[in-house]
Amino acid sequence: MSDFLSMYSIQHWLESCPQGYLEGTSYGHDPDSREPELLMQDDLLREQAIRTTVQLVVGERCALAASSGLINACPDQPSARFLATQTLDEARHVEIFTQRLLDLGVQKNELESVIQAHANPNLVKFAEILLEKVDKKDFVSGVVGQNIVLEGMAFTVFELLHQTSQALNPKFAQTLTGTIADERRHVGFGENRIGSLIKENPAKKPEVEKMQKEMTFYMLATFADSFRRTDAREEIQRAKQQAGAAGPVGEGAEFHGHKLGEMDPEEMEALLADTVLKEFKTRLGRIGIDYQTPARP
Amino acid sequence: MGQEPADIHDMDPQLFQERVHSFEFWFEAVQGYLAGKTYGHTPDLKEEGLDEDEKDRLITVLCNYAVGETAALEGSSGLVGIAPNRNTKLFLATQVVDEGRHLEVLIHRLQDLGVRDAEAEIARRGSPKLVEFRRRLLDLVASKDWEAAIFAQNVILEAMEFAVFRRHAEGADPVTREVLLGIIKDERRHIGFGENELGRRLQSAPHVRARLGEVRRELDPLVLASFDDVTEKIGLSRDERPELARSYLRAVERLGFTP
Repeated sequence: MSDFLSMYSIQHWLESCPQGYLEGTSYGHDPDSREPELLMQDDLLREQAIRTTVQLVVGERCALAASSGLINACPDQPSARFLATQTLDEARHVEIFTQRLLDLGVQKNELESVIQAHANPNLVKFAEILLEKVDKKDFVSGVVGQNIVLEGMAFTVFELLHQTSQALNPKFAQTLTGTIADERRHVGFGENRIGSLIKENPAKKPEVEKMQKEMTFYMLATFADSFRRTDAREEIQRAKQQAGAAGPVGEGAEFHGHKLGEMDPEEMEALLADTVLKEFKTRLGRIGIDYQTPARP
Repeated sequence: MGQEPADIHDMDPQLFQERVHSFEFWFEAVQGYLAGKTYGHTPDLKEEGLDEDEKDRLITVLCNYAVGETAALEGSSGLVGIAPNRNTKLFLATQVVDEGRHLEVLIHRLQDLGVRDAEAEIARRGSPKLVEFRRRLLDLVASKDWEAAIFAQNVILEAMEFAVFRRHAEGADPVTREVLLGIIKDERRHIGFGENELGRRLQSAPHVRARLGEVRRELDPLVLASFDDVTEKIGLSRDERPELARSYLRAVERLGFTP
């Protein structure tokens, strides 16, 4: 165990993250890059970007509370030290996504009210289930909920957003590149550390599986809310076409072999959900947890 | 960030708070003294020959520092959950990784000195007074008493560590000295945060002072007793020991707390 945990030391983190892929960035991106004019000049597109970014802030605030809260429940010091680096990673994510809200024109004194107004209630419920485990100092459930379920979801969502942003919004795409690299490390820790703990505590499995099922339900409900909103869809499409954009996403953007530019929102929702669930099944299987299928919202 | 004044102390107070509590500020600060270091020291720094007695004393001292840093890691991570706003949460997240780093470099130093099972050695050699301090700190965090917990963590514990580490660094072997000097730089930032956070709260809510005075009266004896456990081992003569205690007391008194 100690050999694998040495890969998650603070020394390793310092060399790979702040002194590695974040070097020279400001709030996760090239200091000179800006949100695209197309986005800033169209209220509908800007509103949509704010709404999406609010969900990222909500998710990262939950991750910050969970990773810091789990430190005091750690069964060993190397895990506590890894979670210390994760705590700062998550705080950085909160900071850069909050900064994006400000870049998108949200006023500082309106920040909390904007977040409250746009936070998806299903995502809030998803977070509450995890934080309840953290409050009880349940390390095994907490790490599965945080580092496999939450981070697994975030990883895939960031990848999708990265693909859709690369051509039209290089600033946001670069911000996401750093967070994806962080999430990959967090998911890896969860898989490596929890597998042995589940083996030592097989009685925990039903409780962990129940939590996974509940969190998965609320995750899918969040996706449904995000992709099935019809009120602004036509207006957004019109605004993009007027601005001369190629379509809802950049030309040629692909996600797991699918051309995103040719997909309608329902197809994208299904693709995202299927991709995350496939990842869940694989990763949970590796740690000895049987994936539980929730009802489809 | 391109339009900031050259000196951050010239900034608008609100902007100053946001700036010094950010990941960006933390990274710029630590980059200056951690770049090129491995486990807190220059990789090719030559180890000074310590005899067996000196090595044994140093191991005991480092084990006690590790108890303090464990308390600081657990305390600061717990404080993230009860911090009153985003900026303080962000600052505390940087402190969490600082404290985790301190624990890591101390454990690594213990391993350099031949300790095979650092966690067991820390449990064996840790001062009971420090262990008691850790318990009390975590009780305050668990009770979600923000002012009392931040006072115990970022003023009392950090001031205690700052005073001892600074004095120890003066006479330490080169590797230990470099490790301690890096930690001290972090502690200075943590104490500054604690003083700033509490200073503003004491101005707006003077009744908090009485409660913090009680916390101090409870924790001071534990701090001073734990000094007794390490002072001889870091080479302080009997005459020098009161100055160490005074150095700690001065830091706490900057907030207006007199014994």
